[in-house]
Amino acid sequence: MTMPFSELVSASNYSFLRGASHPAEMVTCAHALGMAGIGIADRNTVAGVVRAHMAWKELGGKELGGAQGSFRLIVGARLVFAPPETGTATPDIIAYPATRHGWGRLTRLLSLGNRRATKGDCILHLDDLLAHAEDLLLIVMGGDAMGGDAAVLERLVHARPGAVWLAASMPRGGADARRLAQLQALSQASGVALLATNDALYAAPDVRPLHDIITCIREGVTIHAAGKRLLANAERHLKPPTEMARLFRSCPQAIDATGDFLSRISFTLDDLRYEYPHEPVPDGWDAQGWLEHMVMAEAHRRHGATLPAALSTVIAEEFRLIRLKNYACYFLTVHDIVRFARQADPPILCQGRGSAANSVVCYLLGITSVDPVAHKLLFSRFLSEARNEPPDIDVDFEHERREEVMQYIYRRYGRERAGIAATVIHYRPRSTLREVGKVLGLSEDVTSRLAGTIWGNWGNDVPETRMKEAGFDPANPAIARLKYLTDQLLSFPRHLSQHVGGFVLTEGRLDELVPIHNAAMADRTFIEWDKDDIDALGLMKVDVLALGMLTAIRKSFNLLRAQGLGDYTLQNVPLEDAATYAMLQKGDSIGTFQVESRAQINMLPRMKPACLYDLVIQVAIVRPGPIQGGMVHPYLRRRNGEEVVEYPSPAPPHDPDELREVLEKTLGVPLFQEQAMKLAIVAAAFTPAEADGLRRAMATFRNMGTIHRYQTQMIEGMVVRGYKRDFAERCFEQIKGFGEYGFPESHAQAFGWLAYVSSWLKCHHPAIFTCALLNAQPMGFYAPAQLVRDAQEHGVELRAIDVGASDWDNGIEPAGSTLALRLGLRQIDGFRESWAKTIMAARASGPFATIEELARRAAIPPAALRKLGDADGFGGLAHSRRDALWEVQRTPPDQLPLFAFAKAAELGRETDAQLPAMPLAEEVTADYQTTRLSLKAHPMQFLRAALAGEGIISCAEANMAPDGRKIRTAGIVLIRQRPGKGNAVFITIEDESGVVNALLWARDMEHQRAAVMGARLMLIEGEIQRSKEGVVHLMAKRITDRSAMLGRLSGYDTMKTPLTRGDEVHHPHSHSQPARHHGHPRNLRILPPSRDFH
Amino acid sequence: MLYAKSGNALRLTSGDAQAVRAGLCAGMSLADARARFPHLIAVEQDSAADSGWLARLGQDCLGYTPQVTLLPPDAIGMDITGSAHLFGGELAMVDMVLDRFNDMGMTTRAACGITPEAAAALARYADWPMGDEAAAIRGLPLDALGLDDAARRGLQRAGLTSVGAVASRPMAAIAARFGMAAVDAIERLTGLERAPMTAIKPPAPLHFTRRFAEPVTHQSAIARSLLALLQDAACVLEKRGQGGRRFRLTLLRSDGARHRLDIATSAPTRDPALVLRLFDERIATLADPLDPGFGYDQMQLAIGAVEGLVSVQATFVGEEGAQDGGEQAIAELIDRLSTRLGPDCIQRLAPQDSHIPEQAQLALPASTNPAPLRWPAPPIGEPPLRPLFLFDPPQRIEVIAEVPDGPPHRFRWRRGLHEVRLYEGPERIAGEWWRRRGGEQAAKAGLTRDYYRIEDMRGRRFWLFRHGLYAEKPDPRWYLHGLFA
Repeated sequence: MTMPFSELVSASNYSFLRGASHPAEMVTCAHALGMAGIGIADRNTVAGVVRAHMAWKELGGKELGGAQGSFRLIVGARLVFAPPETGTATPDIIAYPATRHGWGRLTRLLSLGNRRATKGDCILHLDDLLAHAEDLLLIVMGGDAMGGDAAVLERLVHARPGAVWLAASMPRGGADARRLAQLQALSQASGVALLATNDALYAAPDVRPLHDIITCIREGVTIHAAGKRLLANAERHLKPPTEMARLFRSCPQAIDATGDFLSRISFTLDDLRYEYPHEPVPDGWDAQGWLEHMVMAEAHRRHGATLPAALSTVIAEEFRLIRLKNYACYFLTVHDIVRFARQADPPILCQGRGSAANSVVCYLLGITSVDPVAHKLLFSRFLSEARNEPPDIDVDFEHERREEVMQYIYRRYGRERAGIAATVIHYRPRSTLREVGKVLGLSEDVTSRLAGTIWGNWGNDVPETRMKEAGFDPANPAIARLKYLTDQLLSFPRHLSQHVGGFVLTEGRLDELVPIHNAAMADRTFIEWDKDDIDALGLMKVDVLALGMLTAIRKSFNLLRAQGLGDYTLQNVPLEDAATYAMLQKGDSIGTFQVESRAQINMLPRMKPACLYDLVIQVAIVRPGPIQGGMVHPYLRRRNGEEVVEYPSPAPPHDPDELREVLEKTLGVPLFQEQAMKLAIVAAAFTPAEADGLRRAMATFRNMGTIHRYQTQMIEGMVVRGYKRDFAERCFEQIKGFGEYGFPESHAQAFGWLAYVSSWLKCHHPAIFTCALLNAQPMGFYAPAQLVRDAQEHGVELRAIDVGASDWDNGIEPAGSTLALRLGLRQIDGFRESWAKTIMAARASGPFATIEELARRAAIPPAALRKLGDADGFGGLAHSRRDALWEVQRTPPDQLPLFAFAKAAELGRETDAQLPAMPLAEEVTADYQTTRLSLKAHPMQFLRAALAGEGIISCAEANMAPDGRKIRTAGIVLIRQRPGKGNAVFITIEDESGVVNALLWARDMEHQRAAVMGARLMLIEGEIQRSKEGVVHLMAKRITDRSAMLGRLSGYDTMKTPLTRGDEVHHPHSHSQPARHHGHPRNLRILPPSRDFH
Repeated sequence: MLYAKSGNALRLTSGDAQAVRAGLCAGMSLADARARFPHLIAVEQDSAADSGWLARLGQDCLGYTPQVTLLPPDAIGMDITGSAHLFGGELAMVDMVLDRFNDMGMTTRAACGITPEAAAALARYADWPMGDEAAAIRGLPLDALGLDDAARRGLQRAGLTSVGAVASRPMAAIAARFGMAAVDAIERLTGLERAPMTAIKPPAPLHFTRRFAEPVTHQSAIARSLLALLQDAACVLEKRGQGGRRFRLTLLRSDGARHRLDIATSAPTRDPALVLRLFDERIATLADPLDPGFGYDQMQLAIGAVEGLVSVQATFVGEEGAQDGGEQAIAELIDRLSTRLGPDCIQRLAPQDSHIPEQAQLALPASTNPAPLRWPAPPIGEPPLRPLFLFDPPQRIEVIAEVPDGPPHRFRWRRGLHEVRLYEGPERIAGEWWRRRGGEQAAKAGLTRDYYRIEDMRGRRFWLFRHGLYAEKPDPRWYLHGLFA
């Protein structure tokens, strides 16, 4: 008969850089060792307890919960106190709530400590604990200074009589028995029971190396220098009850105490009864009734007195589920937030996305803009009877104004009731390799070389091939050690951060539910639990997201209104406009929403979207999920009539057309998550709940464990119903391919609509659309230079920045019968909005005649004048850029503006400095350096003669070349991408005539890597490949870095540029060589950087 | 390439010819460079070593002229006015200097100019030899002016891209825009103005000499003179706030023979009495005592290895009452013994940061400065955890003990049987897995030791350990590692 023992002092890896095992590992290990229970208490946090709770439930804890002798989990926190200014330090105290009330006291205590500290810290004092000690059971960790402990014990016992224990451990420190005797004496003197514990930091002894590593990371030392900062041995793991009994054989009551302790606690996380915030409803209504009333009123407003039957059925079903699950308040809350945005002055554009668009209630409440009835969307994707978790409503707001919405939520619910969810930041391969490598004593160079081999930043594993690529032998002991430890650390939480916009709202005090932290951003607070924890506990979350395109669309609407071109909203943009689709079919989509990426532009001429639903598919199909699932080509073939659209049928008793229903919209190819679910329901007889489980397994494909369960069920289910096995297997493979990158149809619908609206604006009002896009920067895929150029190609007249005409924002000016786009002062790098405002204010009273007058009237600092001059913004004052700049530089920079201007008036006339005229190439270079774009010319234009002499053709010529022609073309690199599996590199280059899209196979890359990665001006040799839809690709073979040619443009460095130091070629003649003395990088940069993948 | 940390990024600072040909340049981030050349060899820049090297080269140049200036990070200026003719004129001299440095394996650029600034700029930006120096200066790029970024950019934007272009504009216009600093820079380059040079000084050697009109032969006279020399030295050292660690006395005999005596101290000192005593020790240990012969006519004292030494105010009560008289006395004793027996014969234990007992201290020559680590203070009222004496290596013993981790009951050491009366332990110390190949895996992490403090029936105290837990090794061995007093 083993004695019942529970480890009540165990840390998980949410005690950041202290605990070395996942909460779930601690729980399952304790269970496997035959303990009666385990207590998880992390350092001043409860961030990991939900995961422990989930693991406990997986063990069947729910059923075992009440029974005698079953395995229990208790959750609490290890309180680590701030060192007092005087006197002895307070020992750590482990606090476990005995009741729900106690939990609230604990979370408030932690919130108090968190809110006191800057981010990531928690400053607690013993007095705080005494003030929040109700219903908490406390375990005092015996320190070395016995005198101090006695005083603490006395205070605690006074505050919480009968609820204090003294922890005793046997750390194998050499004097364990003596320490235990001292603790026993202290226990008797103070009347506090001893409690046996091993103060566990990890589950099993073999975790010691990892624990040593995180200790070193914490202390910032290498393992070789860490010395006694490491623990002497591997004893701080969970030990089996028999072993604990043996260690404490001289004090068995300490073992028994763990059982007493456990029996005093009734609280589990399941007791956290969550209540939605009660929304105010008019007298005489309850929440459900009010919700139904509002929805029905809107339905009748749209459809008249009698509703279509389909609509009524869906509404009734949704009402039933909402009532059943008691979600009415949730819908009202989201409705309230959306209403705030719409009623703001000026209104903030917003639109629901994600699965909420499956709900007709959301649609009728105005949260989403897609009619789910019309599109036969699957409501159970949003809400299902079986799923005991709240629905997920995500709403996009204009990115520039989302903060207003967030502050409204804080205002309305108060910081005690509203908080942003946390995001657990995990160790990432690059940083982990660096940190572990540093601890192991590898040089920063070696570790960064290793880290540099990981393209992208995802994945849970550092593949061996990557190591080999970097020239490291994975079998080398040092590398093997690094890899072994890095792999273990990769899944660890690193710290908590705030979620992008997930709000948790409660009716009661939020800080009695979960501790609250200060976020790094001012005026933000976030809670300790992340999205998964919140889901697991059934808390409500509203995602308040930011979307740049909504800002751009709103700005477009405002400009249209101001120009008297119509009063548009997201709802009344003309539907199914033929011209818009014609434009998209040509692949002309730069600047639009979602369909502007290079892959999308390639797809547009193949898809030839002709209606909104085509756009929805277009948005969804060019995604890693469908691409990897191999769905794109079958869909295209079927759409173009090259392949028969067929729907496999089940064996006779079943409806032969059952799949037609599911897959007709997408020509028999499953593209959306809902279709995968419906397919499982219809063809494999899944219940909706099982189908939802399948979706979740798809969404988190890292949990590979669960998906196999569904695999068998689905394939066998389909086979039983008479489908061919290979079809069933193919279906499942496709579904698996979705991974987490597939879209739900509802989401694609929401995005498809924004894609349409933005395309419509681009098609009919290119000047206004470009203006709005520029004013909404940074956003989207393209830099201002490309947007401006695209506008010019669409016949928009662009006007240069001019202090006499430009506002801060880019603006619209009439130009005969059309509109011209005037670049605004915001395009100047480093220019301030306040300067622009004073210029605009001064200009209101009359135009400026001279720069001096501008300087005096607008009273802007010399720095602003210089930036204006640099950007050629004095054009209207009849100065050349060079003369203007020479003029504005006359005010010395180190004088206060006031004195400078006072003096400036007396400076009098200077003799003409007779500056050399600025060549056009230099003008263009200067434009790019100050505004990142030039209206005067394209830099490549000046190199054209030289390039043509070498037989290099322009991008436009390349795009005209026949299929199979071998050509050489050159341009400025806009984008380098290495998507997906990384077997090809996509490069987009640009010259004055257009852009060329090139593709380089990875196998051709390595030997010319330097050119591929380093070139700003790239010469590409390869073969033209022209698809029958007219999509042109350059299949690159040889890449040459011709960046040196750019140096000729500026005209500055025709002088010899020195090379800096060290062993250098004796007489350097490398012209474009930026040297150390050049100073600010802007001076080196002629063009803005490309978008690269590394 | 060399790289250095700048802000949050590692950036390249300089590279060799191959790297530059490949398109890498200073200022680029190391990550970018690696993206292009995964096999790039990059070493962190050591600025301290660079400036140390430059200083050494500067000293070296003192052979050409007494006026040498260091222009960190990578240049040396020499004022060769009046010394060029010694080396065959400017052209020949520059070639000679270039040859010399190139022979050292460096790549060097050099030039002569009318002012130091002109020379520096020409060396950096022009080809040597230049025909017309004034023309070459006019042709220099803007960078040669060494202006701040704003001013340089302003001039570039104005289309004034060479020194000549700037210099030909009215200076008032330049001053109004870029300040007097710009005008000064131009005038210094073109030779209209000169800035003072701060030349490096050869380190003044601490040499003290005493010549005697009559050769001295008496030991006492020598000692008296030596004391006088040491007092001179003490005055100089005190002014500098320094003390010496190495002293060399050279005795020049009237017949031309020389005697050299060297002593070293463990701490910097300038106390004449102390140094004199050490010299006495040194003389006493000489195999062939000093033979003054016809007498010494000159004594030289040289002091090497000076270190900072704060002045200590003398106390009223004298040395006996001084607070750290003990420390002082020990240091003196160590110096005396080291001088007498040789520095390696006197050792001290320095604490090391390690759990492994035999690695927790290191024996160092006593004259070296003690390590910054302090010995852990023993907890008050606790018996010592570590013995005074450690066996190296630990001695194998036969033990009868409780399994798995109970204390020994009796053990046999050097044929004596010891019955255990009292024990405390175990103190468990795991192996250092990171020193073992594959040690990160549990099976290869090395053996754990369980230490026990033991008192036998006769009251003798031992420190034993079992090498390995039973879980690690079926039949772990026992060792005696140390003896308590």
